[in-house]
Parts: sequence; C-alpha cells; structure tokens
Amino acid sequence: MGGYARHVLVIEDDAETADQLVDCLKSSGYRVDLAVDGEDGLRRALAADYVVMTVDRMLPRIDGIEIIRRLREQGIVTPALILSALGEVDDRVRGLRAGGDDYLVKPFAFREMLARVDALARRSGTTVKETILRIGDLEIDLLARIARRRGREIELLPREFRLLAYLARNAGQVVSRTMLLQHVWDLHFDPTTNVIDVYVGRVRRKIDSGQDYPLIHTIRGIGFCLRAPE
Amino acid sequence: MLLSKTVRSSSTLKLAFIYVIAFCAAIFGLLGYVYWSTVTYLHKISDRAISTESELLTKAYDTGGRDALVTFINRRLTDAHFSEWAYLLVDHSFDYIAGNLKGWPASFHGQEGWSTLAFADWQSESARRSPVRVKHQLLPDGNHLLLGRDNEDLDRFGESVTIGLASAAVIFLILAAAAGISTSRRSVARIEAINATSREIMRSGLGERIPLRGTGDEWDGLAENLNSMLDRIEELVETNRQVSDNVAHDLRTPLTRMRGRLERACHQQLDLSHYRSLVNDTISDLDEILTTFSSLLRISQIEARDPTAAFRDLDLSEIVREVVELFEPAAEERAVRLQLSAGETVSVFGDRDLLFDAISNLVDNAIKHGGDQGEVRIAVARSADGPLLSVSDRGPGIPFEERNHVLRRFYRLERSRNRPGNGLGLSLVAAVANLHSAHIVMADNFPGLRIELHFPHLQRAVQSDFDQQERSWAIGVPRS
Repeated sequence: MGGYARHVLVIEDDAETADQLVDCLKSSGYRVDLAVDGEDGLRRALAADYVVMTVDRMLPRIDGIEIIRRLREQGIVTPALILSALGEVDDRVRGLRAGGDDYLVKPFAFREMLARVDALARRSGTTVKETILRIGDLEIDLLARIARRRGREIELLPREFRLLAYLARNAGQVVSRTMLLQHVWDLHFDPTTNVIDVYVGRVRRKIDSGQDYPLIHTIRGIGFCLRAPE
Repeated sequence: MLLSKTVRSSSTLKLAFIYVIAFCAAIFGLLGYVYWSTVTYLHKISDRAISTESELLTKAYDTGGRDALVTFINRRLTDAHFSEWAYLLVDHSFDYIAGNLKGWPASFHGQEGWSTLAFADWQSESARRSPVRVKHQLLPDGNHLLLGRDNEDLDRFGESVTIGLASAAVIFLILAAAAGISTSRRSVARIEAINATSREIMRSGLGERIPLRGTGDEWDGLAENLNSMLDRIEELVETNRQVSDNVAHDLRTPLTRMRGRLERACHQQLDLSHYRSLVNDTISDLDEILTTFSSLLRISQIEARDPTAAFRDLDLSEIVREVVELFEPAAEERAVRLQLSAGETVSVFGDRDLLFDAISNLVDNAIKHGGDQGEVRIAVARSADGPLLSVSDRGPGIPFEERNHVLRRFYRLERSRNRPGNGLGLSLVAAVANLHSAHIVMADNFPGLRIELHFPHLQRAVQSDFDQQERSWAIGVPRS
C-alpha cells in the first residue's frame, strides 16, 4: 500500500447518502471517488484501479447489479459491496450471484459499512496466505486448528475456533454481528437477539481470562474487534 | 314492455327462449306425428269397411244376379246406419240403374279400383258436400258398380284432433315461456341481490353479507362461498389494521423519546459528554425502530415468497444441533439446561437460513420465558406423520385461549409486556412454518409450554414424483 491512500469508488445517486459515505471513508483513511449514476460509475470502475467499490442497488441509467455483471465480464474483480434498500432474501442472492462480494441493507450503520469495506479491501490487498496468525501473545495455527496464548493451548469448540480465526484474520478491524453470522455460521440474516454477544463472551472468557491484557473487545452497537494493545 | 331491462338482457332469459323454441319444435313434431298416424289409421279402417261392403255386394250379385244386387242396394239406402254410404249401379253405357247418386260423375271414367271423388252428386237434398272415397267395380254383365263412403265425419275428427293438438301446443308454448321468464327473473333477482351487496360493500365497508334464502340451491351455495370469502377478507383487513395500529404505537414511544431528547438538546446548554450520550441513546432508539421494521419486512417477504425458490434437502437434526450450540452460552448465563435429543438424520426440504432463524426464535423464547434454572428440551424425531421438532420449557406457558393469538404480529402476553422484545418472534416462526407447509402445535408441558413443528412428508414425495416425471419424460418423449 505504501505511501498513498487506498482508493475506493462510491457509486451512489442520493446526494446526502453519497456525502456521508465519502466523509466516513475519507475519515478512515481512504481516497474516495464518487460517481452519481450508473454510467459514470461503470466508466470510472473500468478506467482506474480501486481496492473496493460500494455500489447502490438502484441507480439511474445502469442498475447496480448490471454494473457488477459488466465489470466481471471484462475481467475486473474489484471487490464490490452492494448497498441496497431492497432487503429481500432473493435480492441478496441475486446481487451476490452477479458477482457482488458483500451486501448491506439500507439503512445501515456507517461503522458496519466501514467494517465491511475494510474486510474487502484487505482481501484484495493480501495475496499471501498465512497459516499462523499472531496477535499479541495469541497464536493461531490455521492448519492444526490450535490456538495458544503465551504458549498454552486453549481448548475451543470447532465453531469457536472458526470465530476466533475470523476475528484474527480481521485483526484490528471491527467485525459486525451480521458478518460473524455470515462467515462463521454461514447464515444470511441479521440476528435480532444478543445471542452472538453471549457466544463471543464465552470465547472471550476462554481467550482473555487470567491474561495480562484483553484481546477481544466489544464495539458498542456494532460488533467486536480482536486487537493487541498498542 | 312487461319485463325490466335487466331481465330482457339477462343471459338466463336468452337461454330460456332457446329452450322454449327447441321445446316447441319437439312438441309440433310429436303432435304432427300423432295427427298424421291417426288420420292414416282412420282412412285405412274406412277403406277396409268399403272393401267388406264391396264383398257383400259382390256376393249378392253372384247369388242373385243384377236383381239381387239392386234389392241389396235399395235395402242399404233405407238403412239409417248407412247414411254416409254412396251406392251407384249403372249399365255399360253409364245409365242409372240404382243407388243414391244421381248419375255417373261426369269427370269420372276411371279404371276399376280406388279413387276419391272431389264432388259427389247426391240424390237427397241434405247432400253431403265433402269428398267421397270410392271403389269402382266392373261387373261381369258389363255394369259398373261405384261404392263409396263419405269421409266427412272422419275429416271432422281429423280437424278436431288438429285443433286439439294446436291448442295444446299453444298452451305448452305459453307455459314454457312463462317458466323461462320466471326462471330468469328469479336468477336475475339473486344476481341483483349479490350486486346490491357488492355495491353496498364498496360504499360502506366489509360489514355487509349476501342474504341467503335457505333453499340450499346453487345460488345459496354461491352466496355462502362469497360470504365466507368476505369473512376471510374482513379478517385479513382487520389483522392488517391491527398491525398498522401496533406499528404506529410501537413507533410512537421511541419517537417521542427521541423528539424530547432532541428538543432538550436544542434548548439547553449541555456539556459535550451529555451531547454524546444523547446522540448515542438516539441512535440506539433508531436501531430499535429499524430492527422492528426489518423484522416486519422480513415476515412479509417470507409470506410472499415462492416456497421452492431456495429450498434444498437439509438435515433438521444438524440445524437444531447448530442452534443449540449457538445458544449454549446464553442458556448457561441464565442457568438454563439445554437438553438436546437429535441423533439420527431427519431430512426436510427447506431453507436453512429461515429454519435456523425460526428455531433460534423458539429456543430463545424458551430460554427467556422458561424460568430461571429451568430446563429446555429440544427434540427432533421422525414421527409417523413426518419430521417433528419440539421445544419444551418449564415456564409459565401460554394460557389456552391465548395460544392462537401469540402467532399474530406484535401480540404480547400481559406478563411479558415490560420485557425487551417486539412481539414478532413467533410471527416469524409462523411465517417460516407456513412456507415449509409445517404446522405449529402449542401444548401444555405440565408445567410449561411445548411448541411442536410438524413438517410434512409430502415435500420430499412431491420432489421425487417430480424427478420420476422428469425421468419418464426423458425416456418416453424424444426431445426434438
């Protein structure tokens, strides 16, 4: 990534939403281009190299899903986060099938949007697959499926390990409850209860209790973050 | 005109007229045949009588010659029983010898055998004027004998038969037309009643119903069906109204809170930390509203979905195991024991996301309402009727009379009104169950509540039927 900021394309026709999106992304260190209709968006996405793009589902001229479909046809694989006011299950499937990488229903919390853009940006950045992740004194062996803290093995259920590994892969970034449900349980709906919090709470007890510092942090209103102290 | 415009233009009346015309054609055909066969029969009888008489005359001639024949004829002429009979004996030059006709008919020089005289020249004044059926005989001595019978009575009988049959036909026609008109008037009246009710419903609301006559006929059947359709529509509208009311009510509370908070922020000088907490509270109130909205939308979308779009073969036991694993920590927190009995594979045809969500809701409810330090049993089994899932708790349960209501949107039991939740969980379960053609049974667990989801065998059967059909098409019909 070097000295320049990572470049994000926002395709959004509603002026205020676009403004907020651009603001939010800029303040977390992205360089942002804005396209206000589908045609402009498609042109920009074809012309420049972006790490991530956010695409509104319903756009003037060219529909959001159509943009992604045409880009994929041209061999452009820029990760796309679809932002849609249509929350239907089938629509989500349609968007992902067209080549969208993630799907967020409007209205959304900006931190959730940011968490997803971060996750997508990292995916396009890192090509080398590590088999051992280290966060502070936590070590996660993805092949042996073993987690150790200060060299001591921590007993985890398979699902708990998946959850920890997902948090570790996104270390330092906020991960929302919906993202957890999607990537750890392979479920595509927004949890309405606090059951995920309680589940993460148990993993946290196994990881953090009796240690020098906590690794799993709850980010109020959004989700969780695995990070070592500075 | 006698008939109102609606009756005149009614299709029933048109049908009735077609029926009357067909009926009349049949009646006239039948009566015509009766007339024709009666008259033919009577003429045949008459001809036979003439033949018999002719034999008698021939016998008289054979035994006594011409004189005996004349005597016989004269005896007949005085016999009142033979008044309609015509006798004429002439010689070879057609001069009169005996009989009651004045002379050989000028127009008649016919051969021997049967014929009909249009006009007979009777001797008596009270002469009949009708055609006479005659038999002409050439006697061995060269004389001609003409024997006939006036068929006036016969014709008169034929006429009266004709008149009788014609008047019967007219009466039939009138009766049939009257029946047709009254039938169409009746059906038009029933249709009018339905129309009037429809107009009334459009004007004033769904309270009206189509009146029944209690005859149990097809009109009553139609009215009954329309009425039960109206009942169903009214029920749906009512549910819809309740949902709207509840949405409005559920929104008003957090909206009022937010408004008050913002107003205060506007008018009062607060320090930064107060502002921050105010904004945070407002955001979490908004999130609450959005969650309610998402849940409502999700339920409507599930209700409107094509059931088979995203359906796959799933193992119900596996889904339940995953749900239980997810809820284990939450149960531990409340010191509730989760008892799972889901060993064998139980196949269902469905949508994993939705089933997971629905079962999560059931387990979540059981943990929350099942009482602290309680026990929640979750069981998956293959019953005789199909896959069966049950979630039982040891809590206070749901009163019998409220069991039907709890599936409604926003319905909340009195005791749980102050607890968190939006009253949509069981509505979602109901929508998901409905999509999977599963039915929900709520039973007493002595104590507690047991909710059962009965899945049908059917869906798998339908699927394999379909496969079979596909196969048989593939084999039976060559694809072009």
